[in-house]
Amino acid sequence: MTLSEREDVLMIAYQNGDDSAFESIYTLLKPSLYSFIYRYTQEEQFSIDIVQDTFMKLQKYKYRFDPKKGKVKSYVFQIAYRLMVTKLNRRKKWRSLLPFLVPIMDEGLHHADRLSIRDAVAKLPEHHRVVVLLFYYHSMSHEEISAILEIPKGTVKSRLHHAIKKLKEELEGDEYESGSL
Amino acid sequence: MNQDPFKKEHHLRQRLDEYHVDIPDFPIKPNKLERVLFTLAAPTRNPLEPIISGSNGVLIVQVVPIIIAAIMTFLPLLF
Repeated sequence: MTLSEREDVLMIAYQNGDDSAFESIYTLLKPSLYSFIYRYTQEEQFSIDIVQDTFMKLQKYKYRFDPKKGKVKSYVFQIAYRLMVTKLNRRKKWRSLLPFLVPIMDEGLHHADRLSIRDAVAKLPEHHRVVVLLFYYHSMSHEEISAILEIPKGTVKSRLHHAIKKLKEELEGDEYESGSL
Repeated sequence: MNQDPFKKEHHLRQRLDEYHVDIPDFPIKPNKLERVLFTLAAPTRNPLEPIISGSNGVLIVQVVPIIIAAIMTFLPLLF
């Protein structure tokens, strides 16, 4: 049984009343979900909040998951993505009204190489960044990404193509400046 | 069939693989009080920074409190 199949089996068990299956789903999906939100926002506390809210929502709407429509991982990522976008848009609105009340981003310390790749990903426009993260780091197919982001499959391919091009430009420029090339 | 656009991008893949994320330990259930406290304690931008970091910033910081104090002193006399 693959990991994805195991997650789906656990979700069905949870829907059938096995509450311990929910904890198992959390254990399996928490690392990938957290890393997705963190690479998108680069904010630790925000990422923790979104992961927790996602699983609270999964708990509340567990019967809305239909294994015939897709995998539970895609379902969970879709919930998380919607929550993240809603929260980020709300923050942008507050920032325009009361900029001094919105927390500033937590930068943290990073190894030099990770700083440039982290920066390159952060510099991508949001609609390019999300497709790269889902495709590369979470091995999602174009169809799954299309379902999560609610955009056509062709748009996923196009955004992925442009994102790769931009990443290469950013990273090659960084290496040129550092003298690596 | 989905083609992998990263297949020929060896160098890019190598760089992307360097982006490691440490997963913190946190509970499944959120603690609302903790969230409120964290938001209140989180650093924010100083809204006066653009004013006080300018060329006349020091003067503004020194003069404005005096002006406010003078207004508050003399305002009751007018009414």
